[in-house]
Order: sequence, then structure tokens, then C-alpha cells
Amino acid sequence: MEELILELKKEIIEVLNLEDVKPEDIDSDSPLFGDGLGLDSIDALELIVLMEKNYGIKLNNAAEGREIFKSVRVMAEYIQKNRKK
Amino acid sequence: MNLYIQAASQISIQEPLCEDWFEHPIFYEERYQRAIDPDFKMYIPPMVARRMGKLLKRALVTSSNVVENSATQKIDAIITGSGLGCIENTEKFLQAMVQEGEDFLQPTFFMQSTHNTISSQIALHLKCHGYNSTYSHRGTSFESGLLDAFQQISLQRIDNALVGGHDEMTPDYFTLLDQIGYWKKGAINSETLRNSDSDGSFSGETSVSFMIENRKKEFSLCEIKAVDLLYKPSIERMQTAVDDLLKNHHLTLQDIDSVFVGISGDVQNDTIYRTMKNKIFQNRPLCWYKHLFGESFSASGLGMYAAAICLQKNCIPEHLFYHPQKPMNGINNILVYNHFQNKDHSLILLSSC
Amino acid sequence: MSESIVVTGMGIVTALGNGKADTMNALQKKQTGIGKMRYLQTSHADLPVGEVKMSNEEMRDFLKIPADQITTRTPLMGMIALQEAAQQAEIITKRPKKMAFINGTTVGGMEQSELFYQDFFQGVHTEYIAMHDCGAGTEAIADTIGGFDLMTTISTACSSAANAVILGANLIKTGRVDVAVVGGTEGLSKFHLNGFNTLMILDKKQCKPFDKDRVGLNLGEGAAYIVLEKEQSALERNVPIICQLSGYANTCDAYHQTASSPDGEGAFLAMRDALKDAHLQPNDIDYINAHGTGTDNNDVSESAAIERIFGENAPFISSTKSFTGHTTSAAGGVEAVISILALQNNFIPVSLNFKNKMENSTFTPVTENITDKILHHILTNSFGFGGNDSSLIFSKFEQR
Repeated sequence: MEELILELKKEIIEVLNLEDVKPEDIDSDSPLFGDGLGLDSIDALELIVLMEKNYGIKLNNAAEGREIFKSVRVMAEYIQKNRKK
Repeated sequence: MNLYIQAASQISIQEPLCEDWFEHPIFYEERYQRAIDPDFKMYIPPMVARRMGKLLKRALVTSSNVVENSATQKIDAIITGSGLGCIENTEKFLQAMVQEGEDFLQPTFFMQSTHNTISSQIALHLKCHGYNSTYSHRGTSFESGLLDAFQQISLQRIDNALVGGHDEMTPDYFTLLDQIGYWKKGAINSETLRNSDSDGSFSGETSVSFMIENRKKEFSLCEIKAVDLLYKPSIERMQTAVDDLLKNHHLTLQDIDSVFVGISGDVQNDTIYRTMKNKIFQNRPLCWYKHLFGESFSASGLGMYAAAICLQKNCIPEHLFYHPQKPMNGINNILVYNHFQNKDHSLILLSSC
Repeated sequence: MSESIVVTGMGIVTALGNGKADTMNALQKKQTGIGKMRYLQTSHADLPVGEVKMSNEEMRDFLKIPADQITTRTPLMGMIALQEAAQQAEIITKRPKKMAFINGTTVGGMEQSELFYQDFFQGVHTEYIAMHDCGAGTEAIADTIGGFDLMTTISTACSSAANAVILGANLIKTGRVDVAVVGGTEGLSKFHLNGFNTLMILDKKQCKPFDKDRVGLNLGEGAAYIVLEKEQSALERNVPIICQLSGYANTCDAYHQTASSPDGEGAFLAMRDALKDAHLQPNDIDYINAHGTGTDNNDVSESAAIERIFGENAPFISSTKSFTGHTTSAAGGVEAVISILALQNNFIPVSLNFKNKMENSTFTPVTENITDKILHHILTNSFGFGGNDSSLIFSKFEQR
């Protein structure tokens, strides 16, 4: 799980172009949106693309992402359960 | 109605955010030049900048700069001219689509690809709910935006406007335009391009912003007296346009100290300017500016910028003259004349204030 | 008070057909133009779209374009709409002194560039490179009838054509031109279809503007132009006046690059300022042709703005995007023409596919044709990405 979490952090930094952020700067349990990392609705769409491209998980609408993208850990747990790649 | 340029700011292939080019112009020997970017981190927080392409960052910096320098409290309008819009992001989305298919495309590249991204991001940044528009009409995109602002101020719909001309040249778009003869082949010397007898020019990039307003301030650069756009004018029509413009402002041709033109070293392009000089502008000294800034769709914005700075400094430096001559002092009126492929023509009359 | 700006010609081509008569007929019969994709080549062929029912070749034949002239779909549609508008306003036979063409478009030549993009780098199909930028198409359209003294292209995404109307009206007011042909054109491209798809705002079924269960928009394509001039110019040229453009405004939501604010600030300001410009009160408006894309976000935002202006007493409202699809840069022109047809015929078109009212909304859109009301003033909204919001008001022409 910790391995997947690290991988995911690296992917998030790359796809969202978080230039000055390092994986260790992202708390695995902090919220990704709002007060935590400060991501927004466009980032959510980018994460949906990431989930499909890298893990074969297809979400049908942006609303589904809200629960899954609560934190990196929640996201990693969801991926582990549902991944097709 | 009187209209003044309160502040101007540029990022181009000359030193950015300053007027170093006036005394220390940089000349180039390569036909493809990217702009000299300032350290954007000093101006835009990283979390805000992370999705922005270079062009957007440049536009935000030059825009913020003129708003600050003109001490404008409330911006009534934000108007951008951009021939190609945010082409870097357009290419990212397009390349991914044609190379990897339609499955995993990234929304960020699409939403930052539309031409109006620049004006709307400036509005977002400056929290401006006023008039907001974007012109994308080839080599007269900038003048189209200026004309819009000019008209709205004269109709008293607005008091001021932030007007910009912004175009980037990505390596891929440079290559595409090279395929259709936009650029010179091989090495160039930008300083002497005016004598060239071959096709094509050298490529630069433009990001230039102006704050214009209907009242004079102590630091106003100059006055914008007239803006005109003409499509496929005959010589007679062009003559009438220039005559009318001078007459409306009680000027004669002799009152025009210099005509700033878009001579670029491309023989087809330059021939039009020479014809206009012989038939209409006659003995008025020509100045050029594309040897400093290169060719780009909104380069005429830098033409107006160079003219405005000369009026402010009350001097045209030697290196701007098409026919070599000593620096000219005591300048009152400059006419900025630009054409694109001999279809779209524009005239801007600037006067000292 | 300045002299009225009047409309003397209109041209339109959309999924509803070629010309005003086809358009009116489909609206009256409540027949949507949105359906199965026929022309656009994409892996998302399951998405319903409002395509103009002609291939590029058929449009070329219709327009009698010489075989050696390079064009793309966006200017082709523009040429068709321009011809119709020019004919009605008789601008070729009764030539005004000075004339402008202001075109709204964003896609430009992308519809061919995306097909040949890799070829371009190999030096193949390079004739399309010069057709890529927005302005290239504008010039190609204008040159089919000629006679334009001033020309430019506006690209403010989905409000482009509405902003072309505004610039054209200002050009006439300042006396720079006597006549302005204004509007927009946009062909479907794989590029923007995929773009909208990545934003997850496309409905896989027919769109349902202002419905509680709406899920997104359907893209459409088309072109539409109207001919503007001063009342005096129309009298001098002896051409019939269709209606008047009584007010307009362009504002910015300044909220988000793609989303609209929940309180509809930009839309509110656009409608408010357009009313002020027209010297009208909210209750003077008989019908709003809404932007009404059918996305969750737009319809909430626009409804909130409408409530802020009109309170509990909203006028009749419909979104004809349920007929044409969202014609993006052309939408402001398409919906201006539809609004003017409504005004001329005292006919309010419906919003198709509406079932249930949105939560907290003050209005339900029109679902049955309304033909028993005399219409005086119609407001039409066009909102674009980046919060580029514009509103136009058309009124029956009354000689002062």
C-alpha cells in the first residue's frame, strides 16, 4: 500500500504540474481539495483521466470522484480494490 | 474625445519589462527567437501558475505591470489581440489526440487552449467584471482590440481599457509556418534585414500591454488620436484614409515626424510599405521595429509600443530609422502603419502630450 | 438619444436546415436537429450532435466554389449564411458606402488541421496551414461576396458571435461604417468535441436544458449572420427593416476558467447592463432565449442570474440549443436569428426534453409553442468559457 501511495503522489505531482511539491510534502491522509493540497474541479477531472489511463478505472461523472479523491490514501485504497491495470 | 496611453509593458526578444532596447538593442543571427522571459515566480504564485503556458504568464505579468504603473483603480475593459491564441496548449491537446487517440486527453490543455483564455485569466487575476473580449484576426488582431477600446471610450461606454497583443511561437508552429515560407532560410542578421531581397522574415514573440484612458495624467506616455482598420484598400482608398485622418486632427503630412512600419525583411511584405511610402508617405522618414522584435501576429502592438516610448522620450533613436540618419528629437506625431499580406491594413496616429 | 440600429437581413444554417424558412419550420414542428453523428470522424461517434446536414463537398457544390480553392467546414457554413443575409439586406445590389464584416469563430481551420496535422510536418497538405487561424476563414467568407471595407474576427469561445454583434453596432454608432454584417460560424471538430468530453459536460442522450436531471450539452455546428445599419441607412437604401437591436452588454464572470459562478454574477451583469443600454425594465422583456446549455453548472448559474433580475416573474424562457445543439462560437448569431424570427412571427419556441423543474428555480421553460402573445422585446444570452458573458436585446421596430 505504501508503495502505491508513493507512486500515486509522484503521478499527481506530474499530471497536475505541482512544480515545487515533493511526494513527502503531501500528507497521505490530508484532503486533496480545499484546505489540504488546494486542488480544484479541473484537477479532479485530471485525476479521473489518471485513474483511467494508469489503472483502467473508469468513472462516469465528476461527482463520483468526490469520495474517491478525499485523500491520497483513500484514492490508493480504491485503486487497489478496483484496478484493471 | 482624448485618449492617452498611461502605461506600456512588454516581454519580447528584447530585455523584458524595460526599455533597454531603446539604447541597447539586441540583434540576432538566428531566424527563430523565443522571448526573454522574466522569472515568473517573482510575479505569479506557483499554485496559480502551474497550469499556465508561457504566453499566459507573459500576458499576466505585462498586464499587472501596466495596471500598477498607471495606478488604475477600476478597469472597465480587458481586450486582447492574439493571432493564434494559446497555441502551446492547443498543440499539446492536438498532438496527444492525433498520436495517442481520443481516450486519455487532459482537460487542462483544452481549457487553456481557447483564444480567450488570456483575457479571461487576466480578468480572473484582476477580479474585473467589466467588458472582456478577444480578437483573433491575423496580423491586425492587436489593432482590432485597440479599435474596440477606442470606439467604446468615444461612445462613453467605458473610461479606460487594458489592451494587449499576445502571440507566442512554439517550435512546432515555427516549423509549420516554415513549410509555407514565413521564415528566411539559414542564418540572418536582424540589424540589416531591411535590405533583404528574399522572402520570409525572422520569428519573434510578442507580449505587450497598454493601459489606455480618457484623461491625461502626469505620466501619460502619449495620446492616441486615431485608429483605423482597412480591408484590401486600393491606393486611392488608403490615400483617402490617411487624408481624412490628418484632416480630422488638423494636421498635414509634414506634421508627421515619422511613419512606423512593419518592414520585416520579407521582400513581398516590404514592397507594400515601399509603395505606400512612395505614393502616400512620400518624404516622411520611415522607422521599422521588427528588426528588434521579430515577426509575430501581434508584432504591430510592439510597433505602437516603440512609437509611444519614442514620443515619451521625445526622441527616435538611430537604430529605428529605415534610412540611416541621426537620432531625431522634438517629436510630436507618429503614424503607425501596418499591413498583413496586403489584405488587412491598419493606421494608428500617436501624438505627444 | 442616438439613432436606432436596425436589422435588415439574416442568414442561418444549422442542424435545423439551410435558411430561415427551414429553421422556423423545424422550431414550429418541435423537430430537433440533434441526432446520430454522420460527418465527423471520431471514436466518440455515440455522442449525439447537431450537424449541418451537408458534407463539405455538398456545401462546396451548393456554393459553386472553384475546385482549386482551399476551404474548411467552418468558412463553408459561414459563406452559406452570409449569402442569405446579404441577399435579404440587398447589400450587393444596394451597396452601402462603407461596410464591415465581423465574424466570431474559435475552431477556425482546426477541422482540417486535426486530420492533416502529422502530414504538415512531412510537407504534405501544407495548403491547410494558412487556413488554420481564425482570421483566415473570416476573409474567405467575406471574399465570396466582397465589398467589405473593414473586417475582424472575434474569438471569445461560446459568446464570439454575440460579441461580433456588439462590435458591429459600435462601428455603426461611431459612423465608421454604414452597414455591419455580424455573427459567427463554427464547424464541429474532433478537437473541441474531445475538449468538451474531457470536461465531462457532454450528454450521451439528447440534452435537457433547465431540467432537474440534465447531465450536459450536445454540441452542434452552424453559422448565422445578421445585417445591422442605422434606421436612416435602411431608409436611404430602401430596404425593409426587420427589427431593432435595442441594447447589448458584455461582462465577465471572472470566476473560473471553465465554470460559471453559482450566483451567476457575470450573467446577471450582462442582462442588467443590456436592459440599461436598451432603456428597458425587466418586465418589458417578453421572452428570453437562454444560453441554456443543459450542463449542471450553466443552468444553475443562468437561473440564479435570471432570478436576480426578474425575481419570481420571469418572462417566457427556452433554450433552443435543444434543437440546434450548442453551436459554440456561432451560438450568439444562431440564437439572435432565432430570437428575431420569434419576434417577427410572435412565436416562442420551446425547450425540448424538459420534464422536471430544477430545485430552487423560479421558472419552468416553455414546453408548448406559444403563438398567442404579441412580442415586443426579446433578450438572448451567450456565455463563454472564461466567463465571457454577453446579452443582446432585439425589439420590434417602431418608427420614432
